Amino acid sequence: MLPLLLVGQAKKPTIMVVPSDAFCVGKGYYLTSNISGVTQKIPDYKKAMQEDSQLRLVITKMGGIMADRGFPLKDLEQTLKNIETESAELSMMASKSSGADINETPVDVLRRTAKADIIMDLDYTIQKQGPKQIITFNLRGLDAYTNKQVAAAAGVGAPSSFATADLLLEEAVLSHMDGFNGQLSRHFENMFQYGREVTVVVRVWSGSDVDLEEEFTVNGEIDALSMHIEDWMAEHTVSGRFSTVDATENLLKMEQVRIPMMYTNTRGREIAMDTRRFVSELSKYLSDTPFNLETKVYQRGLGECWLIIGEK
Amino acid sequence: MRTTTTLIFTLIISILSISNAQTRKDLKAIYNSQYSYELMCLGVGQDGTKAIKVWGYGKTAEKAAFNAKKDAVAAVIFKGVPGGNGAAPTPPILGPDGYEKHEAFFDNFFKAGGMYLSFINITNDGAPSGTDRIKMNKGFKVAIYASVNFDSLRKYLEEQGIAKKLDAGF
Repeated sequence: MLPLLLVGQAKKPTIMVVPSDAFCVGKGYYLTSNISGVTQKIPDYKKAMQEDSQLRLVITKMGGIMADRGFPLKDLEQTLKNIETESAELSMMASKSSGADINETPVDVLRRTAKADIIMDLDYTIQKQGPKQIITFNLRGLDAYTNKQVAAAAGVGAPSSFATADLLLEEAVLSHMDGFNGQLSRHFENMFQYGREVTVVVRVWSGSDVDLEEEFTVNGEIDALSMHIEDWMAEHTVSGRFSTVDATENLLKMEQVRIPMMYTNTRGREIAMDTRRFVSELSKYLSDTPFNLETKVYQRGLGECWLIIGEK
Repeated sequence: MRTTTTLIFTLIISILSISNAQTRKDLKAIYNSQYSYELMCLGVGQDGTKAIKVWGYGKTAEKAAFNAKKDAVAAVIFKGVPGGNGAAPTPPILGPDGYEKHEAFFDNFFKAGGMYLSFINITNDGAPSGTDRIKMNKGFKVAIYASVNFDSLRKYLEEQGIAKKLDAGF
């Protein structure tokens, strides 16, 4: 029993079905916002979930299938309600002794949104062709870490004169989910083989004494800080896989960074690795000699983490 | 001159015989191949099932229908179901090398009266007739309309450690 307790498991991705922007705008579930003189349509998920019974039917059906495959879906409607309740509670909460409220920066407020590791971006339309109805179904699995499409299922159902719209929708879900899950399975296999794909960005605070072009000597080799960071990345990513997409004196952006799924901590226990923990290891490396740098680890989204050099 | 013509004629006959033997050998290999499943999708099945039409071969029509049942389950496991009649394609539960990897398991699974029968519902009982029953030189080729309990089959193979669960490793 003891060895079982010591072996951890990789972080299980959360999956959420979200109606696509095209679906929301097409059905009138959107809010209009004026940003810098440009009018934009923003999807109103709450309205969509409250008013569209067909959408709820599709999400329920998909949820049942995914739960059966070991991935209970994170429910969008419930998540939105929870965020509202959390905001209300946070605004009312006060310490018993001093009456102090909860510390929250504007960034914390901004980041209080519905999140999932994999978004199932859903879109469908039911068109009429004479007496017949035809359903066009489009489901995309988007990895929130990389914004890449990792699974897809799209197609047009058989025209029907007798089936109701609800029945056509149910049929479309049943028809496409096995193919979708097959692709998702291959994505997970790839993840276990080559590591989780994330983005790591190194930035510099404006008051910092050093930038990424500052030279340091490591093992007798003099090089710019950015090059030493890249060397560390090559050693700690799975098979040294990462791509530097931007490199200046103030910015080092690395994409397609393959971090291991698991790592062994100082107590010998194997635990799941995530982007924040991976970047924290880089932070520890930079805090040591010869760098002696103070850094801030800032997690941005699920698969992106920033390391900001100069101060906490 | 006559000798040369005879020689050329003999050579041509020999070459033709060899190529014909090769063709027959190839055809026999295709016929006996465990990867050769002939099936088509009949549409979207009920929840957790796949509705398919499968062809089977046998010396008698009954034997061919019996083989078609086996092929229906084997095709879903190793080949997948092609799309059609409004249904999207379904990927196989295992890859094409699934049999080689778990030979002992599948030999037992597909034995006469084996577990595979519990995952199939035949929709046309009895020997097929009409265009679904073709008399061949040495037997019959018949088609059956079957509903395979895809979800139950996948779960069974996952429980037996043959197929990988979607959440394996998490």
